[in-house]
Amino acid sequence: MRLPLKYRLYYTAGKYLPFLKLKPPEVDRKAALHLRPGRNSLLTWEKRETGELVLSVPTNHHPKRMTKWVSKWFRFPEARHVELDEVGGFVWELCDGTHTVEAIVQKTGHEYKMNRREAEVSVTMFLQMLHQRNFIGFYKRVGKKS
Amino acid sequence: MKRTDDDKQEPLEPEEVAGTPTVEKAITVVGWQGVRCNLPPDWNVTGFSMDRESGYLRVDSPGEGSLTVQIRWTDAAKPEVKTFYHVLAPHFRRWLRRPPPLPPKVDLKANLEKFLKDITKQAKKSGEKLEASTKSEKEEGENSERRAMNFSWTGNGRGQGKIWYCSRCNRVLVAQVLGLGREQNAIASIASRLFSSLEDHSTNGYDLWALYDLQVEIPEGFRLASQKLLSGYIQLVFQRGAERIVVDRWGLANVTLKKFSLKDWFTNHANVALKRFSVTETTEEGHERIRYVGKLTPLTRLRAVREAKLSLRNVPSCYEAETWHCPESNKIYAIQVWRHARSLDVWDEVVRRCVCH
Repeated sequence: MRLPLKYRLYYTAGKYLPFLKLKPPEVDRKAALHLRPGRNSLLTWEKRETGELVLSVPTNHHPKRMTKWVSKWFRFPEARHVELDEVGGFVWELCDGTHTVEAIVQKTGHEYKMNRREAEVSVTMFLQMLHQRNFIGFYKRVGKKS
Repeated sequence: MKRTDDDKQEPLEPEEVAGTPTVEKAITVVGWQGVRCNLPPDWNVTGFSMDRESGYLRVDSPGEGSLTVQIRWTDAAKPEVKTFYHVLAPHFRRWLRRPPPLPPKVDLKANLEKFLKDITKQAKKSGEKLEASTKSEKEEGENSERRAMNFSWTGNGRGQGKIWYCSRCNRVLVAQVLGLGREQNAIASIASRLFSSLEDHSTNGYDLWALYDLQVEIPEGFRLASQKLLSGYIQLVFQRGAERIVVDRWGLANVTLKKFSLKDWFTNHANVALKRFSVTETTEEGHERIRYVGKLTPLTRLRAVREAKLSLRNVPSCYEAETWHCPESNKIYAIQVWRHARSLDVWDEVVRRCVCH
């Protein structure tokens, strides 16, 4: 889920030109906990017997002719692999667009007997990291049909 | 087993897990720098200070709740400005065998007015109007050792609190519960729970340190030297002269113990090389326990002195440690003690007073 260009420019300017004092708006914690993380549909994953999970991230899914030729010539791998530990794998499997961040926090805390705060901090940090790498996007449920 | 996003799982509605407690318990016990209180389940410490003489503690309600408990304390006997006289006077008093002077009389009303003035000032800056009300001073506690005043305020939010002076520990303590304007009943309920359980000193000579499911009592003479509060790992280090107690707690024990044995895990994380110490492995109440006991080498003693900022008081000569796995709370605990030969019962008492589930 990409931000509109207007906001992207605004945040980039704020990041590299600090004297403009452009700060991103404060994120409402309540709203953030109600977002639903969903996986990038280009990724595939494999679960090992040990509980670890290996993600396959395609390196270039829309290659130009030149890139395609170069990668073929140099035998670049078509996908890179990211290994998630057992807890990471558990959270990843819950990122299906139906669970909210709040539900994932609760479920992870319950599964691994973690304190609520610890579970919230670790799950939100992990989701943030996945989002930065474009492995997941956040959805907001808009209007529920009866 | 290769999966893609198309493999749908049983959707789990948030409502199904919303009421599921992470660890089932009736209360949350919070203990920090001698201050202890009981709060509803899953409340967590979100802010604290390292200083024992004057500091603060903040505890937040779980999830989407907006209630907060703030506790501030100051040592009434501590001078506001410390001069050369204040450094030397205790030594001369000890040398001349004179008793320490009585602490100055604390004006609770003035302290409360100052506190309310500060929060009014802050509210004014954000353009809100604050109305405060105070109640008269009364005596509380065993042997009427406390003088206390209740107060409350309303603005954009709402707060209900109490200020007291304890003649036994010489602390002035301000505790308040904050929340939104509409949460009057919730604030009152938490405040009554807080004020009925709040203590500012220990009664048995052991300070309670309790946060994030870790609950341990440490002898009063030990001071918190450093802490690490990470998600899944907590470390508290206490010092008394060159003596040291290190309390570690690791979460996700079931994941960790798939890769390492408890012994290997502790050997990798202990602050000393454990080869020289005698090892005893036991199982108590279903908890696998490993205990290490031994004498410190001269080099390790020197290292302990260096880590205690060259303090030569209570130079440790013995090392004792115990690590155990608690399957009920899915945690690994470890308590390490570097102690002087005289402090025989420190380690036993600390291990006995550590609650794991």
